[in-house]
Amino acid sequence: MPLPPLDLPLSRLQRWMQAVIEQPGSVDEAVEAPASKEELDPEEIGRVILPSKTLTSVERVGVYQGMYLLRMVEALENDYPALAHLLGPHAFGDLVTRYVAAHPSKSYTLNRLGEALPEFVRTNRGIPKKAFAADLARLERAVTEVFDAERSPAWPAEEIERLPQEAWPGAVFLPIAAFRVLAFSYPVNAYFQSVKDENHDHPDMGRKATWVAVWRKNYEVWRLNLGKDAYEFLRALASGRPFGKAVAATARKLQGSAGDQLFRWLRDWVAEGMFQGVRTS
Amino acid sequence: MIPETKNRWRFPDLGVGVGLRTVHYAHILEKKPDVDFFEILSENYMDTGGRPLWVLEQVAERYPVVLHGVSLSIGGSDPLDRDYLRKLKSLAEATRARWVSDHLCWTGVAGRNTHDLLPMPLTEAALAHVTDRVKAVSDALGRPLFLENASTYAEFAASSMPEWEFFGRLMEAADCGMLLDVNNVYVSSFNHGFDPKRYIDAIDPSRVAQYHLAGHTNKGTHIVDTHNDYVIDPVWELYRRSVARTGRVATLLEWDADIPAFDVVHGEAQKARAFRGEEKAVAAAAS
Repeated sequence: MPLPPLDLPLSRLQRWMQAVIEQPGSVDEAVEAPASKEELDPEEIGRVILPSKTLTSVERVGVYQGMYLLRMVEALENDYPALAHLLGPHAFGDLVTRYVAAHPSKSYTLNRLGEALPEFVRTNRGIPKKAFAADLARLERAVTEVFDAERSPAWPAEEIERLPQEAWPGAVFLPIAAFRVLAFSYPVNAYFQSVKDENHDHPDMGRKATWVAVWRKNYEVWRLNLGKDAYEFLRALASGRPFGKAVAATARKLQGSAGDQLFRWLRDWVAEGMFQGVRTS
Repeated sequence: MIPETKNRWRFPDLGVGVGLRTVHYAHILEKKPDVDFFEILSENYMDTGGRPLWVLEQVAERYPVVLHGVSLSIGGSDPLDRDYLRKLKSLAEATRARWVSDHLCWTGVAGRNTHDLLPMPLTEAALAHVTDRVKAVSDALGRPLFLENASTYAEFAASSMPEWEFFGRLMEAADCGMLLDVNNVYVSSFNHGFDPKRYIDAIDPSRVAQYHLAGHTNKGTHIVDTHNDYVIDPVWELYRRSVARTGRVATLLEWDADIPAFDVVHGEAQKARAFRGEEKAVAAAAS
């Protein structure tokens, strides 16, 4: 004689089902996992989920469980296409499995799922080409953040010429919200571009310091390779350092007419829409 | 003869629409296709100041827009996410959305989101729980909420009523409406072994403000609601049966995976016109 249905409180029923769904591996393994068993004895599943004519009770929950990781992989592949390419499907799938176990989605949007992935790659073992992968993940995260960042109107390029001479030393240039400037230990921007171009003749992946600005202009995300001096100057400006101090810190390292070079860079960056304005004291 | 829409909120029949999808952005902005309305996935536009929002603003300027969400978790046992509701309301106002819908489901608990539309036990306790939450959401949004019947792959032994009864009682108690997904009725009927016509015939036609149509994947043992193909004939027949009861109601084709060119998606949606008894479709067929 079949046992009567088990009418679990809604919260417990949902905790159990979620625990099963989030488990990797087969659904038979998932219902036996400690987090699942804590909510429901696997022997009782038939009293909670009805079998169909073609699927057992466990197999029916397995339809949901089987789709969970696929969905997570797809979401993170969208945000980290070059990292997925670098690692290949097996290693990327393994990374996602471990990552979502540690950082399950806590947001109404999947756009935030990958927020902690760069740090996860950097600090966890068993990830192929880990140091390169960590840099690449950081670049791709910056691209995602810039893509969705709030709007801030760009400072018109001609305004830079109107800034009074006496205001320059203390002028603080304010970057737009959709702006990042990053330093890497590997040539990840070149690798990222080769994946975007579907060019499988990837650049040398050996250790090499590189610097990149990422920003949004006309609703497109742009990336600009920088030299070390340009990076340090741009980073100083973007972090709120007054122009005079940023120039002093960078100019020491430059030969010849450093001031002219720095001004040309700044004018180009303003023309590219990296700044939303300037604060003068 | 198909009657005009009979929904109690007097929401207009917006005609035949399609979902706004990223892969079609450039086509829509450039070609400005003749589409009756667009449905947008609410969560995709809540946290962005970038290209998606820019596209949406242009679409909303030109076309009627309705919002459709996947993360409300109306059946969840966690508290409602007030930040989410605030953003949803703001988006609805910004786009002048004709209405806002989500699903009868839960998506996660303990602060987590599986990003799936998980099934509800169809019990008295669950009904009371969802009723209270629908009322709270309607109050927060300042407008009625419309819930879609999700495709389900599991049934709970403790359920004490069929889904159509649960929906009927919920809509009465919470004064909400339904986004009737005809494909989902078909999918769930296959998975659970009920007659889909019973479901269609049991829904209060005055509560239906929108239809969804979509393709699916038959795995043999069960059907998965994949939105990756053309609508099959039995689903069109169910749609015909339902439209005869509800009158012409805004109808949207969903195509979310393996998405073909915009014209293919739009063309599939246009098939709905024949079932709505539209002269436009009759004239097209005659030419």
